[in-house]
Amino acid sequence: MRRSPLASTRAASGSRLPRRHPGAPRRSHRNHSRPARLAVPYVFLAPALVLYGAFMLYPVGRAVHLSLFDWDGMGLGVFVGLRNYADLAADGALRASFVHAAVLMIFYCAVPLVIGVIIAAVLNRGKVRGLGFFRTVFFVPQVIAMVVVATAWAGIYAFNGPLNQTLRSLGLGFLAVDWLGSYTWALPAIGLIGTWVEIGLVTVLMLSGMAKINPELYEAARLDGAGAIREFFAVTWPCVVGETAVALTLTIVAALKTFDLVYMTTSGGPGNSTTVPSYQVYYQAFRLHDVGMAAAIGVALTALIFAVNLVVNRLADRAEA
Amino acid sequence: MISRFERTANYAILIVFAALVLVPLVNVVATALGGPASDRTGIHLENFAQAWQQARFSTYMANSVTVTLTVLAISLIVSTLAGYALGTMTFRGSTVIFYLFLLGIMVPGEAIVIPLFFDMRALGMTDTLWAVAMPQVAQSIAFGTYWMRTYFRASNRSIAEAARIDGAGPLRALWSVELPIARPALVTLIVLLFMWTWNEFLIPLVMSPTGKMRTAPLGLAFFQGQHTVDDTLMAAAAVMVALPVVGVYLFAQRHFIKGMLEGTVYE
Amino acid sequence: MTFTKPGIMRRAVGVLALGTLGLAGCAPGSDQDQGEPAVTGDVNTDGASMGDVELILWDQEVRGSQASQFTTLIDEFEDTYPNIKINRVEQSFEDLSTTLALALTDPNPPDIVQANNARNDMGAFVGAGQLLSLEPYATAYDWTERFGETVLKNSRYSSDGKLFGEGNLYGLPQAGEIVGVFYNKEKLADLGLSVPATWDDFTAALEAAKTAGETPLMLGDVEGWPAVHVFGPIQGAHVPPDEVTALGMGNPGADWTTPQNVAAAQQLADWATGGYFNQDFLGGDYDAVVEEFANGTGVFLMAGSWVGAVIDEQMGSNAGFFTPPPAQAGSPKATTGGTSLPFSVTSGSKNPDAAALFIDFITNLHAMEVLAETGNLPILHTAELAPAQGVWADVFAAFQDVSDTGYLLPYLDWATPTFGDEVLKPGLQDLMSARTTPEEFCAALQEDYAAFTAG
Repeated sequence: MRRSPLASTRAASGSRLPRRHPGAPRRSHRNHSRPARLAVPYVFLAPALVLYGAFMLYPVGRAVHLSLFDWDGMGLGVFVGLRNYADLAADGALRASFVHAAVLMIFYCAVPLVIGVIIAAVLNRGKVRGLGFFRTVFFVPQVIAMVVVATAWAGIYAFNGPLNQTLRSLGLGFLAVDWLGSYTWALPAIGLIGTWVEIGLVTVLMLSGMAKINPELYEAARLDGAGAIREFFAVTWPCVVGETAVALTLTIVAALKTFDLVYMTTSGGPGNSTTVPSYQVYYQAFRLHDVGMAAAIGVALTALIFAVNLVVNRLADRAEA
Repeated sequence: MISRFERTANYAILIVFAALVLVPLVNVVATALGGPASDRTGIHLENFAQAWQQARFSTYMANSVTVTLTVLAISLIVSTLAGYALGTMTFRGSTVIFYLFLLGIMVPGEAIVIPLFFDMRALGMTDTLWAVAMPQVAQSIAFGTYWMRTYFRASNRSIAEAARIDGAGPLRALWSVELPIARPALVTLIVLLFMWTWNEFLIPLVMSPTGKMRTAPLGLAFFQGQHTVDDTLMAAAAVMVALPVVGVYLFAQRHFIKGMLEGTVYE
Repeated sequence: MTFTKPGIMRRAVGVLALGTLGLAGCAPGSDQDQGEPAVTGDVNTDGASMGDVELILWDQEVRGSQASQFTTLIDEFEDTYPNIKINRVEQSFEDLSTTLALALTDPNPPDIVQANNARNDMGAFVGAGQLLSLEPYATAYDWTERFGETVLKNSRYSSDGKLFGEGNLYGLPQAGEIVGVFYNKEKLADLGLSVPATWDDFTAALEAAKTAGETPLMLGDVEGWPAVHVFGPIQGAHVPPDEVTALGMGNPGADWTTPQNVAAAQQLADWATGGYFNQDFLGGDYDAVVEEFANGTGVFLMAGSWVGAVIDEQMGSNAGFFTPPPAQAGSPKATTGGTSLPFSVTSGSKNPDAAALFIDFITNLHAMEVLAETGNLPILHTAELAPAQGVWADVFAAFQDVSDTGYLLPYLDWATPTFGDEVLKPGLQDLMSARTTPEEFCAALQEDYAAFTAG
């Protein structure tokens, strides 16, 4: 899936705006026959459905299909049923890649959420001058290609790069470690790149939610003598649960597809400490020639994204209800 | 009222975070403009020319432009039509079809790229513009259809209704009445699709195995592999890859962020 | 997504699942024709008669001196045969490894590729029928005369890709390679040491450097394979060469868990945990660390001859090179080495004659001279072309010496299709950071090797 800041799937179906008009043409002044009129929406949809079917739905089906075979991508595949999935569950290194993805979720979702909410609350409450400027700046990492982001950060994390130089000049040289070569730090270091990228997205989403809050609520809270923090939990937070769900959905998806970042920074090392499922898909298919396994990982990844989305939105619905 | 202290604290927080966002980027730009590691002084614009030539950006940038324009053109037309149908017409199956498109937003490229590669190879189509563009068209259609449907559902339908009563067919109503007022939504969609397509890494990597349709981000990745020592050239190449998207974003940011804020959540 | 209507959601998924089931009967790959492609009829060695040809070439000759010999030879080739144009796509070794497998599956692959000798690379490509047997050309151009069998066997596979070291010829190398020890002459002298004659002398020198506050060994292992070139020589000093060769080529009859192998692993682990390497040896970039060494950091650098040019350029007469010393002074030396990545012709090439002509051109006597002049170690005529002084003189002499009287051991990642990427590279990193014991490390290698050799 694309890194879609706004692919707020929940928004679409949950639209509470009244549809002002039922839509379909009730009558046409032209002399279309009834079947022709009925066909109109399908004609409009046809090109999208054909292309989408051919290059999205069919490949998804094929991925499930391929995942049932032992195939090297060259010879004839052998049907093995669900064995690739069993191997996936049994293989320590592959399982670890999913664990790493879970760790990355903390850095891609939880941390940006906290920081993004704070920034948005500040921007919203403070009636800060230069709001447009800050908003534009915070969002910039979202629009830059991951390859570029990785290049920028690999330089920063280099052993004699700016980060360690800064630490050393502050007299904190003992903290200067080999970030991308450390079993302890490589994964968090990659995660922090994700934090850096996602903060802007969360901030913009939160701002949009907060902008819709009735100012009278704030005034009431302030009359009650609520400080900034109580005001936040009493007024702001309940109103942005929906946006939080959207933000979580999007950042979780981003955390689960970190192929280019890992490809550019650590290639999965040291050891296997930064392998992620999306990297494994590529690696299994084109380096180890195990196409069935690659497809199985892709399918598992998709299932995981569906499941996480489901949970997040169930929780959000409950919180709002 | 907001206290003076709070105001100061607010600005402090904002400026710190803005700095954290900007430092890595400024670092790259500064490296790109600077001299080699031995002598950092001065501004060296020739780094860009050299990196452009050594990273073969003439080819890769041209590929990026071709792929991006192709994806944008096809998916905009197609998803506007589909979004219009789903947003303004009632018909049997519309909900199922809508959910089908929603699924596509969540499917990771990693899942479809493997089967697409092997199927297109069997058809002898890998390494073509279509191999690189069409999977991204499908992804863009999923999002674009969702996006335009949301817009059309929320937009004021009375103008369209008037046009219909005037006897305009649905296609003409869409073209001459709906689209002109849909410009903000379209601008945002264009920027998003442009950004995702330009930045895409995995699909062109896999779908162009012999590298004929390699796009600029791939060019940067392979350039980096060869020039880890020469960080000025690498930084210059990175800046050139990022520049078109950042440029479009900054140019359109007013509409873009507004469109996003409006398009996100209707609740 | 608000799943207010989960039923619809489930139905949508159901539609997908149904569509899938219909396909389950048809195995992938069934529509592809297999079979050994071969050059039929006579081969043409007359470049001028080949008409206008464009050859696509994938290589990793990107480091300074390699790049310059290669562009020189390409230019000369195009001057000699104006009708043949070379369209070059160069990448780093690492990127080539990951993208070549993809490229070769294409119906229109590159014509000439540099394929690693390893079973997971050349072996897999041969097995898939993606590379052309060069036997007809070897006869036409007398390559067997030009190269000895010791060189050629590293590019020989049976046509099913299963046997390594025998069978058809699938590629020709340009350069010789020897993995050894680069050293900083001034620093070694400051430590009051000379080039070590035995392995124990070498380890003592490392300890001395450490005590003196120097970084004994430089390594940048972020890509995983550079550590293989540190472990290879250590293993060469501990394990009989014929055993290493069997292990490295993935041929049966050897064992990774012998006490000597474990001792070799133990030594690498000790070096790493004992602080013999630069602090960023796991996360450092290979070329960047070589550059640091060339700029005066560290006493020793265990690496392949291919980095010689970078070191020569920066350090001049301050740089030296020696073969990893044997356990006993005077006994034959054994270290990783052999040939540079061979150039192969793909089965999908429409102009195999022109491709073979190019390979002949870049490996002939004149090409060897160009290699030597531009700061490379030519695989042939090494003694005649050796420079008189500098680090290259050491490298040429070491290569000649080990080729004649010692053992050039195979790169360990050649062993099995999964060996390098799955087991050895992460395993070495785990070993060096004390996350596995030497015994566990060797046991993991043995498991992969044994499973492969058992068939």
